[in-house]
Amino acid sequence: MDTTQNDKLVLALPKGRILEEVMPIVRRAGIEPEADFDNPKSRKLAFSTNHANIDIIRVRSFDVATFVAFGAAHLGIAGADVLMEFDNPEIYAPVDLKIGYCRMSVAESKELGDEDDPSTWSHVRVATKYPEITKKHFASRGVQAECIKLNGAMELAPLLGLSKRIVDLVSTGATLKANGLVEVEVIAEITSRLAVNRTAWKTRPDEIGHWIERFREAVDAKAS
Amino acid sequence: MNELPDKALLPAGMQDGLPPEAANEARAAQTLVSQFDAWGYARVKPPLLEFEENLLFGTGQAVAEQAFRVQDPVSQRMMALRPDMTLQVARIAHSRMSHSPRPLRLAYSGQVVRVKGSQLRPERQIGQVGAELIGATGAGADVEVILMAVEALESLGVTGLSIDLGLPTLSPAVIAGLALKPQVLRSLKTALERKDAAGVSALSDALGAGATAALLAMLNAVGPAKAAMNKLMNLKLTPDANAQRTHLAQVVDGLLAARPDLTLTLDPVERRGFEYHTGVTFALFARTVMGELGRGGRYEAGNNGHREPATGLTLFMDMVMQALPAAVATPSVFLPFGTPPQAAKKLRTEGWRTVQALEQTSDAEAEARRLGCVHVLEGGTVRTLKNNA
Repeated sequence: MDTTQNDKLVLALPKGRILEEVMPIVRRAGIEPEADFDNPKSRKLAFSTNHANIDIIRVRSFDVATFVAFGAAHLGIAGADVLMEFDNPEIYAPVDLKIGYCRMSVAESKELGDEDDPSTWSHVRVATKYPEITKKHFASRGVQAECIKLNGAMELAPLLGLSKRIVDLVSTGATLKANGLVEVEVIAEITSRLAVNRTAWKTRPDEIGHWIERFREAVDAKAS
Repeated sequence: MNELPDKALLPAGMQDGLPPEAANEARAAQTLVSQFDAWGYARVKPPLLEFEENLLFGTGQAVAEQAFRVQDPVSQRMMALRPDMTLQVARIAHSRMSHSPRPLRLAYSGQVVRVKGSQLRPERQIGQVGAELIGATGAGADVEVILMAVEALESLGVTGLSIDLGLPTLSPAVIAGLALKPQVLRSLKTALERKDAAGVSALSDALGAGATAALLAMLNAVGPAKAAMNKLMNLKLTPDANAQRTHLAQVVDGLLAARPDLTLTLDPVERRGFEYHTGVTFALFARTVMGELGRGGRYEAGNNGHREPATGLTLFMDMVMQALPAAVATPSVFLPFGTPPQAAKKLRTEGWRTVQALEQTSDAEAEARRLGCVHVLEGGTVRTLKNNA
């Protein structure tokens, strides 16, 4: 077995807009990626850092959860929405990074919302990127949810008759409003979390504990 | 012709064990039960199928959803395929062996079947090797079982072991007496499972300042055992919970005294998978393997009429094998056609593994190579084949 590979800690970071909010915290925690990380022309997916034993990978946010669950990455940063949807017992989420604030909500068209009484539902059809969270949420209220999995532009579903309702992330509500939708129920408040692989934490408690502490300090430093 | 691939397809989570891995796993399982035997744990052999109500009664309810069920055509009662062997051994201890002297030490090795695998571990049939120590209350019993697991795994060649100790009854003790809504309980369970301090803080209105502070302190104590135990000691607990904490501290001291080299961590909020446990629990990890090699802890054996304190351990062979070097085939000696049976027998008693040619072949060496033999018998002596050693 290649022990150097095995000894390196891998930190998985989410691609996309959220990365702009994530990087200041990563840097405050004392991790500085190589120059290529900020070079948009670079095709690299894995980056070395100022710590010889830490590498960074950049993947889609849902894949952060997969990499951490399987231990391919030891640490990761992902939204609570992703971790809830993935709901894997091998992932711990010990630090709230207090970035990426939004909420997971049920929304429907304004006309429907005006006369709708959610307490009378027995079966709903919902378009969402989060079928597991949606099913669980409705099941806990005794409502059977038939989910249509979409990967984006959920707001189109009610407009085009795919489903009357959607479950999606809402931050300002501007997108909902622009598409004639109203928020009817909040499922959960969402922020980004530091995710930790369970086995990594148990077998390398000092190292992982050290980095959890650094991230916690980085969040507190920002808050104060 | 297209029938063969269809027949080779197995149900999800089921697989054929092939050479040399199958032999390797069987050997490892045998080594483990022999180790347990050397510690005084006598082997028992429970059946594959039992009546559902016996297997899944009481503490078994926690694993009930994992059991395949089938109706017994003879008695017309429902039977369950064992999803776990601990409960069977506990049943043996309080039924057929209820008069055997305590503490009772029993060991087992066998296959279990589960209704569902997980994404990380899709296997639905798993080899389990384990041991149960029934009728002992003190921390010495927990220390014995954990040390035995460590020694047995090390005898197989597993390195970089770490042990995570838990006390799944502590967080329920902390929130006992608080009338919490089911929704709050659910959120709290999720938050504790994820070690999510923010999730616990968010529930502080329902939990009250005292319980919130205690739970956050427990979350903060997750980590290396010595420091974690010091943090836990600062908690104000009810006498009942305090007794459990003292027991945990004794287990930590006992383990560190016996094996100061062990990586020992504490996780006082871990509850998942320890649904039927009543005290100190543990999970075993190796640095090279993702997931638990085994787990165990305190539970109550017996039924409502007669309960006994017990502790036990279960090793999962699929995970244990991942912690070991890859299996290699045992080198074999090729016996050319016509080798006298006596000569073959003599080689086997000397410890050789023989492969007898059943037909005359022109080139014994080529035939030996074709069959994967490393040696060939020539003129009464074993010759090692070149560039094959």
